[in-house]
Amino acid sequence: MDSGGATPMTHHAALSWRAWGLIALAVAAGAALPPLLASTLVLTLLTQAAISGILATSVGALLRMSGVVSFGHATFYGIAAYLIALSIKHQWMAAEAAVVLALVVPTVLAFVLGLGIVRVPGMAFSMLTLAIGQAFHEFAVKARAVSGGDDGLAIALPPELFGLPIAVFQRPHSAFVLCWLTLAAVIFALYRVAHSRFGRITEAIRENEERARFIGYETDVPRALVLAISGLVAAIAGVLFALYNAFVSPEVLHWSLSGSALIMAIIGGPRLLWGPAFGAMVFFLVKDLAGNLTEHWQALIGLTLIVVTVLLPVGLGGSLIRLLAALRGGAAR
Amino acid sequence: MMAIQGHALTRRYGGFAALDGVDIAVPAGEIRGLIGPNGAGKSTLIDVLSGRAGKGASGRVELHGRDISALGVQQRRHAGLARSFQRTHVFPELSVVGQLEVAAMKAEAPNVDEVMHELGLGALALRRAADISYGDRRRLDLALALIGKPKVLLLDEPAAGLSMGESLALAEHLKDLVSRWGVTVLLVEHDMEVVFSICHRITVLHLGKVLAEGTPAEVRAIPEVVTAYLGSTA
Repeated sequence: MDSGGATPMTHHAALSWRAWGLIALAVAAGAALPPLLASTLVLTLLTQAAISGILATSVGALLRMSGVVSFGHATFYGIAAYLIALSIKHQWMAAEAAVVLALVVPTVLAFVLGLGIVRVPGMAFSMLTLAIGQAFHEFAVKARAVSGGDDGLAIALPPELFGLPIAVFQRPHSAFVLCWLTLAAVIFALYRVAHSRFGRITEAIRENEERARFIGYETDVPRALVLAISGLVAAIAGVLFALYNAFVSPEVLHWSLSGSALIMAIIGGPRLLWGPAFGAMVFFLVKDLAGNLTEHWQALIGLTLIVVTVLLPVGLGGSLIRLLAALRGGAAR
Repeated sequence: MMAIQGHALTRRYGGFAALDGVDIAVPAGEIRGLIGPNGAGKSTLIDVLSGRAGKGASGRVELHGRDISALGVQQRRHAGLARSFQRTHVFPELSVVGQLEVAAMKAEAPNVDEVMHELGLGALALRRAADISYGDRRRLDLALALIGKPKVLLLDEPAAGLSMGESLALAEHLKDLVSRWGVTVLLVEHDMEVVFSICHRITVLHLGKVLAEGTPAEVRAIPEVVTAYLGSTA
């Protein structure tokens, strides 16, 4: 491509070596955390936060890449979890193959759904994702013979998975490291996508779909692919959830889980790749601290959401970056 | 050789025909003006030719003799038909050069540098489109259409919102550019100074039909055109 002397640029500026160093440090610090924490309870909470962080990252990725809001991402998360449970229960395949299946099916489902609904604008798209999600939830509740209904399904995992003892996936110390590193890998992968040719095209489509068509781009397939990528990330979270808890119930398909992931993304800052994951950490921190004081901890989450939406539209992550930039600017002066 | 031709082009909205059986043929290399009062069907004609008009449109569109009526907007662009819009239609959050590069990724002959140079966008290369002036966004809108050197360019009021000086400067520059690049242009414009200064021929639309066609001098001399549209401007 002849970009001609002009500096190639996407909206996301490439990261400096210093930024990469800080990121590597953050990832390593997270992975090194478990031995320093005596409390299993805290590690359990952090593991849940990391899994929810991946789910929130999937919702944030859709919002950032396509500009649309999903109220139904628990669908891909829950289907992944149920597929592992059902595959193992009925001995359809080896557990490793079940994990692959649990990643592939929600991704393909998201793509096919995407081809059907990506042209639906704004709020109608959100309502459609909500309706589709609730349809799957209702099926899980009503089809007791398949899903176990409200009682859910216990997952009889094998002693080993991918050559690792199953305890690695289930003990909070190792599970947190696994989930944390997976979260980091997901964010890195999404960073690469955002800076790829495909990422630039989806950015243009998000900004002005009609103009994108008039400069020669087919827009339905890229938008469906974004939904598929987002669905895959949600499925990764669902797989980790199923392996960690060895249990699945209709709650994993409920709209409130999708709503929580969206709240995490908004609190953290959906325009940042790591913002939704940061929001998940804040969400669980508030939930834990407030939960010790009152059973109405959701009210505090709601208050946090209102404050962030009204006063910090770029989210806590975006505000943190602005604050650091201001401090750096002040120091430079 | 006709660069672009439309036969019996019609666009209906229920019982109302915004465009009613229009025939138009623009030879290669020509700048054709398209004028008429509001509601005459000018933008609708551009929409029908570019594939934007939707299912209520009918008629045949040919690009250099090839029937492109069944093609979508993307395929028409690949075939060499580009357009700009009445209201600026850019990518607000992308940098100027960023969006031109995205457009160039689809072009057979990417020419980002050349287009930026021709339209004087170099100094704005790294600015977000949302942060540049309206006049600059109009030039960016035109630049997006010029990426890949299209064979035919449909311009829907490229000078809208510009001052008279800016309009005339843009018109002269456009005339020079399309002449050098060999691009055929169909230009919708309300600014008669612009139209009469750069167009080889002019088609006048009125109530969805062709009222007249000719050189600028011929059009000025047609009493119906003066009555319907030009008035004292002529």
